[in-house]
Amino acid sequence: MKRAIAALRWMVLIVAIMVLNAPVIITLITSFKSDAEIVSNASLLVEAPTLVNYVHIFAMSDRFDILHFLWNSVVEASLGTAFALALSLPAAYGIVRFRVGLHWLFPQVVNQRAIPLIIFAIPLYLMYQATGLLDTKLGMAIIVCWVNLPLVLVLLVNAVRDVPIEMDEAARIDGASSWTIVRLVILPLVRQTIASAAVLAFVYAWNEFLFSLILTTRAAVPVTVGASFFFSASGGGVQWGVAAAVMMLSTLPPLLLGLFAYRHIGRSMTSGAIKG
Amino acid sequence: MAAARRSLNSRRDGWFMVSPITAFLIVVLAIPLVVDCIYAVSRVRFETLRAPEFIGFGNFAKVLFDHEFWGAMLFSLRFGLLVTAAEVLLALVLAIFLAPLLAKRSWLIAPLMLPMMVAPALVGLMYRLALHEFVGPIPYYFVLLTGDSPSFLGPDNVFWTLVTIETLQWTPFALLILYTAYQSIATDVREAAELDGPSTWQMLRYIELPLMRPTILAVGFIRFIDSFRVFDNVFTLTGSGAGGNTMSISIYIYEVFFRRNDIGVAVAASIVLLAVSFGLLTLLLRWSERQA
Repeated sequence: MKRAIAALRWMVLIVAIMVLNAPVIITLITSFKSDAEIVSNASLLVEAPTLVNYVHIFAMSDRFDILHFLWNSVVEASLGTAFALALSLPAAYGIVRFRVGLHWLFPQVVNQRAIPLIIFAIPLYLMYQATGLLDTKLGMAIIVCWVNLPLVLVLLVNAVRDVPIEMDEAARIDGASSWTIVRLVILPLVRQTIASAAVLAFVYAWNEFLFSLILTTRAAVPVTVGASFFFSASGGGVQWGVAAAVMMLSTLPPLLLGLFAYRHIGRSMTSGAIKG
Repeated sequence: MAAARRSLNSRRDGWFMVSPITAFLIVVLAIPLVVDCIYAVSRVRFETLRAPEFIGFGNFAKVLFDHEFWGAMLFSLRFGLLVTAAEVLLALVLAIFLAPLLAKRSWLIAPLMLPMMVAPALVGLMYRLALHEFVGPIPYYFVLLTGDSPSFLGPDNVFWTLVTIETLQWTPFALLILYTAYQSIATDVREAAELDGPSTWQMLRYIELPLMRPTILAVGFIRFIDSFRVFDNVFTLTGSGAGGNTMSISIYIYEVFFRRNDIGVAVAASIVLLAVSFGLLTLLLRWSERQA
């Protein structure tokens, strides 16, 4: 009986993993089919696996430059994550130790998570148009920084709260300024949280779509929007094999982070959700 | 304490520390809101951005009398409620049933979390392939097993297809949080309860679920908020759908702005949405406080 239940658990687990990941599994398998096979064989068993779709992507870089889109995503997501951390660490210190903004700034940032972001899209579009930030990597980095602020700030506030106040009092007696304390005392002690927050913020930034769709057109297009260009540009006759390969490449970096840094991501998601 | 007084004296430092983020938020949050408020009471198009013409509350009237607006609102509410209920239930069952496995081999949580790593926009595109009537494996297996395949994106099924897609992508979130909460129920609580020799079911019903209740509410709250404002996956899979039948409120505002070039109306709709969100937020918070 006990062994039957254990076996059932494994079965449920495997079915859950397959069903939840179905879109990725299906896309991955399709990306290994030739055009001929895609039409003749819609099953999940590939008769003649091939890498030709991945080769094709790079052969069409004059019309669809995936490396350009990937590079944009890398720059925008990394910069945006760095900005969010740089703004949040001192703010977290000010909020926790001096209680400045504890009752207006902190709830304001946290509540931002509950607001449909489309509300800000239109004025931001107009502001970006006026300031020349439209379709720039910097402009998108600012947006993904803003989108990630609630998560990053909540995580850092919790982390700074856990640093014993004796640590900074000792430094203060030695004459350290608040800025020095943040840099030399707090920063090393919350390293772990910064790493976890950075991983999840990077994934969220990579996956951002709404603002990228509105605020980029050519130069700064990230891969989420680029992949959808690929579909709309090909109209009715989508080349499914190449499309599948494009989608796999577009989602590879966050997928790899999810596989190898799942502990960091799990930690950030849990503490961000529960205390936030 | 001297040190404490010293840190009070340096409250100025505190202001210094929070000023960059505050300035940033004024630029990306406060200014857009002010622009929203001005344009909401103006007649304005792309060609007349610099010279909005004051027209009073006409835009709001247009929004409130637009049946597409109410259709989109209803879509988002129904979508949010159904998705949240499905995710929390499914995740609760999985978290509790799989807990013994996950506790022993914690890396098993990684493949379960993987769906959350994929951009929702890409998930929408992936389902275009997966559900395609000729090349998609899902209809293929439906035909193989049942002899027929429903038209997943047809008008009768598209809503449920979208609910399923969203649920499958974000059940892992609820699963992760609920599993963590389930694991963190203190062993001495469990041991104390076991002295009375409860059945597994009684243990769940009277000890574990009540202890997990605040987490369940928090997860439901977050997932409702996120699915209510859904945009990416719906937009890439079906857009606003045939006759607007998959138009969420976020997609509605996007369309009014870009397709109809009616900035005043789009912005007025944003403000109505903001008010509704705040209303919902306050209601939910009050309700969950009373529950806790």
